[in-house]
Amino acid sequence: MIESLGSLMQGLAVAISPMNILYCFIGCAVGMLVGVLPGIGPTEATALLIPLTYGMSPVSAIIMLCGIYYGGMYGGTITSVLINTPGEAASVVTCLDGYPLAKQGRAGVALKVAAYGSFVGGILSIFGLVLLAPPLADWALKFGPSEMFALLVFGMCMVVGLMGKSLIRGLVSIFIGLLLALVGMDTVSGAVRFTLGSNQLVGGLSIVTICMGLFGLSEILVGMENLSQTNKVSSVASSKLRKGEWGPTIGSIIRGSFLGFFMGLIPGTSSAIPALISYSMEKRLSKHPEKFGTGIPEGVAGPETANNSYVGGAMIPLFTLGIPCSPTIAILMGAFMLHGLTPGPTLFIENPIVVWGTIASMFVGNVILLIMNVPLANVWAKVAQIPNKMLYPVVLIVAILGAYTVSNSMFEVGIMLVCGVIGYLLKKLDIPMAPIALVFVLSEMMERSILQSIKINKGLSGLYNSPICMTLLILSVIILIASLFAEYSNKKSRFLTSDDE
Amino acid sequence: MKNSKLFVLFLVVVFGMLVLSGFSSVFAADYPDHEITIVVPYNAGGASDMTSRIVATGMQEALGQTILVVNKPGGSGGVGMSEVRAAKPDGYTISYIPVEIVMHETLKLSDLKSDDFDYIGQLTLVPSALTVAVDAPYNTVKEFVDYALAHPGEVTIGNSGAGSIWHIAATYLEQVSGAKFNHIPFDGAAPAVTALMGGHINAVTVNAGEVLSGVEAGKLKILAIMTEERDPNMPDVPTMKESGFEVVIGGWGGLGVPKGTPADVMEKLSASVEKATASQEFKDFISQRGMVVNYKNSTDFTKFVADQTVFFSDLLSKMELGG
Repeated sequence: MIESLGSLMQGLAVAISPMNILYCFIGCAVGMLVGVLPGIGPTEATALLIPLTYGMSPVSAIIMLCGIYYGGMYGGTITSVLINTPGEAASVVTCLDGYPLAKQGRAGVALKVAAYGSFVGGILSIFGLVLLAPPLADWALKFGPSEMFALLVFGMCMVVGLMGKSLIRGLVSIFIGLLLALVGMDTVSGAVRFTLGSNQLVGGLSIVTICMGLFGLSEILVGMENLSQTNKVSSVASSKLRKGEWGPTIGSIIRGSFLGFFMGLIPGTSSAIPALISYSMEKRLSKHPEKFGTGIPEGVAGPETANNSYVGGAMIPLFTLGIPCSPTIAILMGAFMLHGLTPGPTLFIENPIVVWGTIASMFVGNVILLIMNVPLANVWAKVAQIPNKMLYPVVLIVAILGAYTVSNSMFEVGIMLVCGVIGYLLKKLDIPMAPIALVFVLSEMMERSILQSIKINKGLSGLYNSPICMTLLILSVIILIASLFAEYSNKKSRFLTSDDE
Repeated sequence: MKNSKLFVLFLVVVFGMLVLSGFSSVFAADYPDHEITIVVPYNAGGASDMTSRIVATGMQEALGQTILVVNKPGGSGGVGMSEVRAAKPDGYTISYIPVEIVMHETLKLSDLKSDDFDYIGQLTLVPSALTVAVDAPYNTVKEFVDYALAHPGEVTIGNSGAGSIWHIAATYLEQVSGAKFNHIPFDGAAPAVTALMGGHINAVTVNAGEVLSGVEAGKLKILAIMTEERDPNMPDVPTMKESGFEVVIGGWGGLGVPKGTPADVMEKLSASVEKATASQEFKDFISQRGMVVNYKNSTDFTKFVADQTVFFSDLLSKMELGG
């Protein structure tokens, strides 16, 4: 452990050389930019920029590409808060409280809390990476298809917490998400489903396109109705937290850090899962769960922290075993190989400078992002003041461009527009949107993992023979019963007392 | 007078047409006079994408024109390739052609046929490697197959998706050896390798490059690769053939243009690809990714594609995929 810290210091010396700081800055800035623009996420940006790194030294190249990765995680928050359009799946839950905050003129609070949370999450997870890497990586390998399925069931139960006022409407939303996830080729059987004979749908729908339509476009359509009224945010409220908001926010940041880190270790997860679980967990632990969704800072802080600390966790399997845990990490792995480095335990021995330089640069990158984001939060917050008449066309253009870049085709734009209209209708029916997007992400993995588990074990024995699996499944059942019970008693009390709804 | 005016007009028109046609023939001789697009029918960042981008850099130098690389993923490569097939056969729209082109017709993935394209050249060969956990009770293919024969249907082999080339490779081994495996599809090769490392499955038959890290980490061992000859990157690993199983199968990638592209354009493109694949940069990248540089010129690649079409149609029709 002491040895690790010593190596980390050496790495820090590499990371704070002026050129590497510059590359780290460029990476973070590019990452932020692509995070802000929907369509191109950090995965695509990393892939597209790899060829530019040919001429650089391996350390600088990797530092820059990592910067894009976590910079993108920061950037995704901005659009979620300001225009209710998540640039990637991990930011879907940020919309839930971030956008209401922006509507109250408190976008600055949301962005600042997210920046602080991301910083703490990032730094803590890097410490985890330095101190705990090897034993944890082996533990994480225990997550096979059966355990993955149980984890996803757990995640699905968490979605119940996001359902808003009515259980029935929440279920409708969940089933829409499931239905959308069924489109395309099923990897297990190779069967093509619900594509209406279209070649373009064989690969399934893209989460980015769906999010931009359901969240962004539908918001514009609803907003168009009252365009003549000037119900604008009158002023930008103070971007400071109010008294009494500090406690829960700090708590959610710390819990989010640990959650994200451990989720990052598990191969095959995505950063949307820790964000989702963090939000549900905060809501459950909160003294005032009914305020979630109306714009409270801890609803933004927890998930944003979790999706950043996920990055540090996800680096562990890459560095120790050569396993890419997520699509972006897979591309980073490609970048390592392009520079003649094979990620894995031998990398620590053969190229300690690269490994520790990269890890140390993540500290530097998080500091850079904090410096960039906290003052910027006030600038971004002013965007919320732009009159809708001017803001909407810009958002529309960005959304169309984003949808086009998903696969460079107008087909995705068409899907986005259809999703926008569906989103508008759902909004009119008061059906929550977040479960659609999250269930879409989870159910695809869930279906695959259960089918794999059944095939490997020739039945369901994989589920009850694994302790991890059983624990997760039992927890899921408890949560489900608890939330159904809460819903029931809530309804009863509302029925007795409420007359304002 | 009137007639002579008409005659002058006639001359002008004829002269104009000559000049224009002259110009256009000059244009053809000057191919390429504007940027060229390479369509990659897969996502950015994958092996096909990176291969195309590096080749594009080399071709760009040889042709003196900018080459754009565009990703059009979807439908097992069907979306991107269909688009190139429908493009003008003028050499300005090129497709990256993966091994899947020879399967589209048989597997009914799309209406693409392998003779929809003129082939510029082959770039790479992507060998399949039979890989198992390092502590597995078998050290050779023979032992592995014997074990599988003794435990029919119990040995689990991971692949990168139902009907993928690695699934077909495992099924081919099944056919040749007479063993019966339990095929487990994953969403890409990397998750399959991860599951192998975690002990959730017994073997994988994916691209050798995907398992290299695991081998170096001391978690996995490669029993054999399914190429004709040993791979210079891993000289200690025997081929399936050496081990007594006639299994030669793998992925490959090349470049193609829509059918009917002029011969002189084809020649220029082919020459630029030959140059690009010979560069050290390309060779280094390909071998680090566990692939093999395998340049074939237009004629040889065309013949190779035709042979592979017959081979795979035959193989696939005998297989029961999707189970």
